[in-house]
Amino acid sequence: MSLIDLWTISLLLSALALLIITGLIVARVITGRRQREVQAQRGKLLPLLLGSASDEELAELRRSGPDILGSLVTELIELVRGDERAQFVATATRAGVTCTLRRQLASGSTQARAVAAEVLGNFPDELCTAALEEALDDRDSRVRLTSALALASSDRSPPPQLLVQRLGLGIHEHSLLTVTLLSEISRQRPDEVRALIDGDDVPAAVKAAAIEALSSSGDYSLVGVICRLTLAAGDLSPELPRYLRALGAFQHPAALPAIRLHLASSTWWVRAAAAEAAGRIGLAEANLELSQLLDDNDWWVRFRAGEALTRLGEPGRTLLAEASRCGTERARDAARLTLAEQALTA
Amino acid sequence: MTQGFEWQPWAVTLATATAWIVIATGLLQIAFYLVQLVYAAIGLAKRPPVVRSAVLWRRYADQAPPIAVLAPAFNEEVTIVESVNSLLALHYPEFEVIVINDGSKDGTLQRLIDHFGVTRVDRFHELSVAHQPIRGIYANPRLPRLLVVDKENGGKSDALNAGINVARAPLFCSIDADSLLESDALLRTVRPFVDEPDKMVAVGGTIRLANGSRIASGRVEDVRLPRNFLALVQIVEYLRAFLMARLALSRMQALTVISGAFGLFRRRLALEVGGYSHNTVGEDMELVIKLHRYMRDNKRPYRIEFIPDPVCWTEAPEDLAVLGRQRARWQRGTLETFSKHKDMLFNPRYGRIGFIGFGQVLVVDVLGPLVEVAGYVLVPLLWAIGLLSIEYLLAFLAITFTFGVFISVATLILEEVELRRFPHARDLAILTLVSVAENFGYRQLSNFWRLRGLWQYLRKQKGWGQMTRKGFQTA
Repeated sequence: MSLIDLWTISLLLSALALLIITGLIVARVITGRRQREVQAQRGKLLPLLLGSASDEELAELRRSGPDILGSLVTELIELVRGDERAQFVATATRAGVTCTLRRQLASGSTQARAVAAEVLGNFPDELCTAALEEALDDRDSRVRLTSALALASSDRSPPPQLLVQRLGLGIHEHSLLTVTLLSEISRQRPDEVRALIDGDDVPAAVKAAAIEALSSSGDYSLVGVICRLTLAAGDLSPELPRYLRALGAFQHPAALPAIRLHLASSTWWVRAAAAEAAGRIGLAEANLELSQLLDDNDWWVRFRAGEALTRLGEPGRTLLAEASRCGTERARDAARLTLAEQALTA
Repeated sequence: MTQGFEWQPWAVTLATATAWIVIATGLLQIAFYLVQLVYAAIGLAKRPPVVRSAVLWRRYADQAPPIAVLAPAFNEEVTIVESVNSLLALHYPEFEVIVINDGSKDGTLQRLIDHFGVTRVDRFHELSVAHQPIRGIYANPRLPRLLVVDKENGGKSDALNAGINVARAPLFCSIDADSLLESDALLRTVRPFVDEPDKMVAVGGTIRLANGSRIASGRVEDVRLPRNFLALVQIVEYLRAFLMARLALSRMQALTVISGAFGLFRRRLALEVGGYSHNTVGEDMELVIKLHRYMRDNKRPYRIEFIPDPVCWTEAPEDLAVLGRQRARWQRGTLETFSKHKDMLFNPRYGRIGFIGFGQVLVVDVLGPLVEVAGYVLVPLLWAIGLLSIEYLLAFLAITFTFGVFISVATLILEEVELRRFPHARDLAILTLVSVAENFGYRQLSNFWRLRGLWQYLRKQKGWGQMTRKGFQTA
């Protein structure tokens, strides 16, 4: 490389840096000025959006340009509630905001598409629903899931079985938001979510999510199904702790066989989940197993066992007091500190 | 010059080899930086949308796992109450703040007891990772989110280990007690753990410098540039480190560092790798490397990520002595970790982390300062004795400096396009001038500090040295 080449590279780098920074500063000055104008314009548009705009006002809203209107709606829609929100949505729809959002959802950047999907969930018209349904096949998984959540939160979701396939739930898509999605659907259509648990071709992770989504429903007919899944799951199954937690949430004594089996699991996180569930249900029949777990190798299991025993009431506290006097050193510590922490006397 | 004198062939060969080593290392660094710049741009473009906190809360609050925020404190009497108040005001569904008083010699513990009304309690906690004995645990039933652990002094890593043992949440967030987290920082940082719960092991967020900014009630209210030149240079350095290097390495799945000032980790895995190591001042880097090693050794799929949005504000040293000690310590920490895990370097078993992550540490952190300082000393020397041409020397120096400026300015594009935290256009001009000025004096000084770190490492020096906190300038 000649001397001239080296100096040319240096000069080019300097020129490029100078050009970039000049561009950034000029852009900042221009956008700063523009932002002030936009800010002023938004101040005028806001009352129009919040009221029932007349045709003239609607024309003014449209004249402001789709970008300003779109961004204003995106920012504000989360802040209005009740009748004001319905009014806001109606006016924004008449002003053509949904066209902008649908265009963004179809061809914007990944970030713009995800934001558009989120906001479109607030617009119940058919075109928006169709756009969101189309976005269930978006190339980006975040946009797909956001679209599904937007549809589900406004009771427009396709059948969950179809979502499992289109979003690859439990196969490519492992987000915990799957539970939120199924919870939203189960508010209106619990049977469809329930059908996922019984489905043969449904991935285990989706079954677990469906169980979690339904675990606050109080539908005790699910207990038997969850028990069957729990008994059939292997020790290393990642879904097993989720099943056990769901059994704990139902607080139904029929879970005893499944929980008793897994209190003796070879995997610490399964034993811990089983102990936690036993405590939540108040399974006095498992008190001896829980007492033995106070000497478990894993601290988390000892902690959950101690916690569960305190939840069993007097019999559990008696066992803890006994363990604090006569157990192994590890069990004594676990029992003594659990009692002390719960401010119970040994 | 030196007419009539002919150098021995070995001297000429030595001079040529020296020049080539300097050039080759420089080119490798340039190549790394260019690739990082591209990956950082892709990373910023592909990151999840930056939505308002309200939307984030509505979507993520139900599924966000509990977090234990671990704040080690040593002689933080002046700032501890404000720091803890700021942490307790975080916007997150379920979290506990565990302040670990690491045997402070001042009244840190008493300030906590007096202000928050905490009293001694019993708490059943784990003893999986080693640390100095805990003297007592303090809580107040009216503040169920606060727990104070008082322990004997053992250093930051020791305090964090005590915090990990005492914590019960599945995730823990390590921070410095004198840092300020933005109120929604935890909610933004937890997103990857919700999106990929099976794989996510650790997530780091951006650290920014609050020097010069207006702070009120534990929050950065108005971002401003500091007047102190050293603080300004560090702002440029932090932008390069976080918005370029870490973002790019994260995109390549080869991130080797999550800053000790702000990182979110899966607690159980941190326990399985033995927590923070005691025999290093680079405990934050070492924990990340241990996690990489553990997951790869066990053939478990995993991800360690950096996300640019959540921000933790910290105070940068504004005088040369403190900054010098900090940089020497960072260099020593890097070398200690690199040396301890050197078998991972270019080892196919460790994939990208062995080749890209460790390769980058080798070229930029291990060889970089050595070669640059050797270049500063040897190249003029070789020129003085007539073995190198002044024209080439100046041309290479010019390239080195202009490339440094170019990288800094390019990082400003990323900041401007994606984050835009600096409110005024003149801030960009000032930072550009700083990125030019840093080449003349600061850059050389910085390399000197790093060599001091190397010297400390070779002498097996331990400990953090004296830290001086100025405290945030509040409104």
